Amino acid sequence: MAEQKLVTIKIDDRELKVPAGQLIIEATKQISTEVPSFCYYPGLSLQAACRMCLVEVEKMPKLQTACTLTATEGMVIRTDTAQIKQARKGMLEFLLTNHPLDCPVCDKGGECELQDMVFRYGADTSRFVEEKIHRPEEKWSELVYYDAPRCILCFRCVRVCDEGMDVKALGVGMRGANSVIIPNMEDHLECEECGMCIDICPVGALTSGTYRYKTRPWEMQYVSTICTHCSNGCKTTLSVRNHEILRANNRDLSGINNDFLCVKGRFGFDFTKHPERIKQPLLRKGDKLLPVSWEEAAQAAAAKLKEVKDTHGVDSIGFIGSNRTSNEENYLFQRLARVTIGTNNVDHHRTADYTGLFTALGENAKDWVLTMDRLYKSKAVLLIGNDPTNQNPFVAWQIRAGIRHHGLKLFVINSKDIKLRRKAENFVKVAAGQEAAAIRWLASGEGQIAGQAGEQLSALKSALSAESDVAIVFGSEIAGSAIASIVALGASLPGKTRYMALGDYSNSRGAADLGVLPDRLPGYAYLDDNKSREAFEKLWGGKISTKPGKTTPQMIEAAQNGGLKALYIMGANPLAHFGTLGYGRGKADLVIVHEMFMTETAKQADIVFPAASAYEKDGTVTNTSGEIQPLHKAAEVMGARSDFDLLRILSHQLEKQGVGKAFHYKTPAAVYEEIRKAVPGYDVDLSGLLAGEAETSHIAVKKNGHAAYDVPVGLIKPAQNSLFTSGTLGRYGQAIQSLPEAQAKP
Amino acid sequence: MQMSPQLTAKFEKLQNAYPVKRSALIPMMMYAQDEFGYVSDEMIAEIAKRLDLLPIQVEETLAYYSMLRRKPMGKYHVQVCTNVACMLRGGYDILDQARKRLEIGHKETTEDGVFSLEEVECIGACTGAPAMQVNYDFYENLTVNKFDRILEEFDKGRKPAPEPVISGALHDRHPLETPLISSRWGIKDSRKIDVYLKNGGYKALEKALKQMTPETIIDEVKKSSLRGRGGAGFPTGMKWSFVPKDSPKAKYVICNADESEPGTCKDRPLMEMDPHQLIEGMVIAGRAIGANRGFIYIRGEYRYVLDLVEEAIQEAYQRGYLGKNILDSGFDYDLLIHTGAGAYECGEESALMESLEGKRGYPRIKPPFPAVVGLYGCPTIINNVETLSAVPSIINEGGEAYANRGTPKNGGTRLLCVAGHINKPGIYEIPLGMNMKKFIYEMAGGIPNGKKLKAVIPGGSSCPILTADEIDLPMDYDSVAKAGSMLGSGGMVVMDEDTCMVDMARRIMHFYAHESCGWCIPCREGTTWLRKMLERFHAGLGRPEDIDLVGELARNMLGRTFCPLGDAAALPTISIVQKWRNEFEDHLNGRCAYNKASNELLLGAR
Repeated sequence: MAEQKLVTIKIDDRELKVPAGQLIIEATKQISTEVPSFCYYPGLSLQAACRMCLVEVEKMPKLQTACTLTATEGMVIRTDTAQIKQARKGMLEFLLTNHPLDCPVCDKGGECELQDMVFRYGADTSRFVEEKIHRPEEKWSELVYYDAPRCILCFRCVRVCDEGMDVKALGVGMRGANSVIIPNMEDHLECEECGMCIDICPVGALTSGTYRYKTRPWEMQYVSTICTHCSNGCKTTLSVRNHEILRANNRDLSGINNDFLCVKGRFGFDFTKHPERIKQPLLRKGDKLLPVSWEEAAQAAAAKLKEVKDTHGVDSIGFIGSNRTSNEENYLFQRLARVTIGTNNVDHHRTADYTGLFTALGENAKDWVLTMDRLYKSKAVLLIGNDPTNQNPFVAWQIRAGIRHHGLKLFVINSKDIKLRRKAENFVKVAAGQEAAAIRWLASGEGQIAGQAGEQLSALKSALSAESDVAIVFGSEIAGSAIASIVALGASLPGKTRYMALGDYSNSRGAADLGVLPDRLPGYAYLDDNKSREAFEKLWGGKISTKPGKTTPQMIEAAQNGGLKALYIMGANPLAHFGTLGYGRGKADLVIVHEMFMTETAKQADIVFPAASAYEKDGTVTNTSGEIQPLHKAAEVMGARSDFDLLRILSHQLEKQGVGKAFHYKTPAAVYEEIRKAVPGYDVDLSGLLAGEAETSHIAVKKNGHAAYDVPVGLIKPAQNSLFTSGTLGRYGQAIQSLPEAQAKP
Repeated sequence: MQMSPQLTAKFEKLQNAYPVKRSALIPMMMYAQDEFGYVSDEMIAEIAKRLDLLPIQVEETLAYYSMLRRKPMGKYHVQVCTNVACMLRGGYDILDQARKRLEIGHKETTEDGVFSLEEVECIGACTGAPAMQVNYDFYENLTVNKFDRILEEFDKGRKPAPEPVISGALHDRHPLETPLISSRWGIKDSRKIDVYLKNGGYKALEKALKQMTPETIIDEVKKSSLRGRGGAGFPTGMKWSFVPKDSPKAKYVICNADESEPGTCKDRPLMEMDPHQLIEGMVIAGRAIGANRGFIYIRGEYRYVLDLVEEAIQEAYQRGYLGKNILDSGFDYDLLIHTGAGAYECGEESALMESLEGKRGYPRIKPPFPAVVGLYGCPTIINNVETLSAVPSIINEGGEAYANRGTPKNGGTRLLCVAGHINKPGIYEIPLGMNMKKFIYEMAGGIPNGKKLKAVIPGGSSCPILTADEIDLPMDYDSVAKAGSMLGSGGMVVMDEDTCMVDMARRIMHFYAHESCGWCIPCREGTTWLRKMLERFHAGLGRPEDIDLVGELARNMLGRTFCPLGDAAALPTISIVQKWRNEFEDHLNGRCAYNKASNELLLGAR
């Protein structure tokens, strides 16, 4: 980037250097001078409408709006004069004329920007004695309510819906003092139900159907954690009262996602209190699963595992991990399989081929990591497959923001008319399944695609070749050997190409990174990489087999036809995703499940342990772009335990049975401490994580003389979630289920 | 809802008429409404589809404009103006009579669906006050009797003849008048191209295209010291010279014919009686800045004027004064007339451009100024009808000669409409710098019924109001500014000694509150608060502290709003409180000492 010219300006007698052209309202932040505003919102278009940010500028007769005034050399600004104080006071007085003073019953009371501003800058008396404009409250959807009199018409909601979300479900109706915000469908909203409009509203004009009239903001505790739905790793601040989550938002603007959250991040927390949560361990007695004590369940699990192990050997047991559990839990899970039991039959439901990506990138993989922030800053993005708007909403947000803020160019190859095509420079529509072929042709010129798609692809290729520092983002359509083509294509482009594989679920990446894989150790080391394997053997106190285990589809198949005798499943529903439903568990003698709900898989189990959700535990997760972030326990659900606890309990019971060594980690943090030391790429700065920031993992993979990497068809299986579905969690998400959009077939 | 073939054809023409499709939105809604009486859901969907818009985008734009509606009105939509000029001559009497006769209120429709009534803001018939429109037809110089006769005709299913041209434009010229741009008014068929050509028309265009360069055209305009006649008085030649010469983008000329400043009705006769003069001025302006396209944005109420100008444009195309290779000069220029739909704010240049782009008429952040980033983001000059109409004269007689008609820095002549309590309301063309007192008493015949003069709005209701003692001054931009007011738009409103200034303040604020676009807080909330307060005060429910509060609230808007509308509302208000404070105090004892009508209002309020 070209070096930005600095200019010297003076604000309230303090001299400072700022980039030429910087908005004065931003410059004032450097010296912690608050210039109040309602309509100014970083990232959205400028309005200069609320007139709260008026400042005095030397040599300018009229007050100027700091939100549109740009810094020039020698500019002298005052933000603290009597004239400005009087102007702010007058402006707030105007605002309050039609704003109802129903703060005691307003959801926003206590965290209202208007309240705060009147407190700080307003008058202590009211001189308005005329009649206010009244209008009834409107319900626009199950999730969004509009109270027109409270609206101060800052148009943040309209802008975020249009510019930020590219939905444009909100508009402005009427004119003058009668102006109102209007929904797109006469009296209701048809939109992505993201709720951005609610959060961005500085007052209580837009309120949330799930939160309204529930509590006061000061009665809650605020817990920042990572959203447990998709793989993008948005930070969500859960508002909790009496261990119950009442609201999710990100108004503190922390985290990689700033204020962005989609419908699931904002409203998809109520599965935690669904009445059907499993709250006691269950043990199969006959054809019934009956509640038993923790002791009985744990002992039974250990005894039965030992029995299968002793009778049929270690490789008769399969371990299927989760893509929603924490990194620490994933690490312990595969350790339990590999060393405590002694099998490499450990895998998870893979929705993106992370193994393929890091194998293709090899030892310098970390140099080509595309974080969410870099995605936004990219000059050009090539998106192959996936539908980020629905499946990776934050990725879509970042792309749109990049386009809006700095002219990011988007190139799209997809078999569907995904919404992001509207923002694309080039859109190539290929036949379903042809994405990999398109990439191969782009990379090598081999296998020309016929017809219109081929022509579009040629146009895309010539446009793309003019770009440098391209970000390549791809969905599950690209896996195995096709990833090598992607990397070859990236290598042929000028500058530094970076890559992001789009997985589903909140910790798919963490499951892969931490070795919940049949053929790789944590950090993707091959099993026959002696140095790596021996290090883990030493750490865990046991031998690790060099023989790759079975994949998830193979395990389910083997269990169903008798090739596997026991399945240990943590937070996954593989019988629904991979099994032939109706065939159930097949010939497996033993199925043990950690679950929150009676899923298709849990129903088939012999033992079910009630598991805590991500919102009920501490730990870390890694998003699809490799950013490690902390989970913080927000809610408490009586009876459920974290998978960390469940694995610890099991390891102790197994030790009692003479199988392996018990885990002596006291907290997930203790496990993370080990991960930092043992797993290449996870030795990230701890202070950042402790402060709640994202730290980027830096995976590197040694080829170790292995043949070219590929995956069989069906191993990488996307979740196919929409904005309104989220696997099991979505099915039990009551707010989301109340939406008509959730009922519509994608 | 079957669209007529005419409407379908109109739609097809409109949707392809603009560089950006969306621009056709407002005209399409207006023509759809003309056919069906309102804009239905179905039409919204149809228009959205045709313009590649979402229905909500159509709804948003529609909701902004006061002429567009979502429900049908009566077959005859009676729109009575009560703004300042009409109010002073009995506009409220007409409105009361309408209420009584039709037995309906504001924005209501008779049960049989034949009539609907609306109290409207200034319709640009101030010199024919009081006035009303029935649908698009103007009826002026109303009395209660005349109003009844007109409605009787409608009752019988006949349409009474509207005014042939605006009242007050055609009158015996006073010796001190200097007709230049109004010189063809009154000539039979003056709007026809042949008459125009016979009377010196399109000579300036020929000269500009064949003997001059863009630079020399701009130089002449600079020499003429022509200043914007829309209200702000910005030097026209300088504005033109701001257009970047090397911009690769298209450039545009816009004529601001959204004349809606209360008291102003001079652009209407310029367009209805001499449209070719305006067309000629616009082509020359296009040549000067290198634009090949011009737009006339005309207020929606002036539909008959739009039709007349449209005819003139067609004539000009046929004769080769518009279109490709004009007069073999190699210069191409296309011109389109575009209807507004009822929004004073769209007279503000950047709001007008938003509106012309098919959006809500919100003003834009400046800088950048339109000369650099204007219509469709391209360099654009925007001038008032009168300004552009003066351009042919400047080219014909030379900038210097034109300038010499006025005073230094205030070149030329200007049209002045005078309305209110005046013996000869009308539109006069006078040299800039004429003495205001002389104008009022000698040219416009003084105050009727031998009454004394109380106050003068010099140029539209946005100007601070002058007292009778302040009017002995030359009418040029600088002198009026020195007297603490503005020459403004040329819409002078005269008030006699019996005028209630509290009522005047109330009516002025009613207008600005109605027209505030709602974009910025101080104007949106300030004008509404002041309107409510002045209504209460005028009705006799004022409190002593309200007097200072009116002034203070107006000052809290002044200079702090997004666009000049806030100042426009604040300035006259501040001047009234300052200069006629005693009248406010008189109201505190429960009655208006000046105005019979307001006593009735007062009783009504109690």
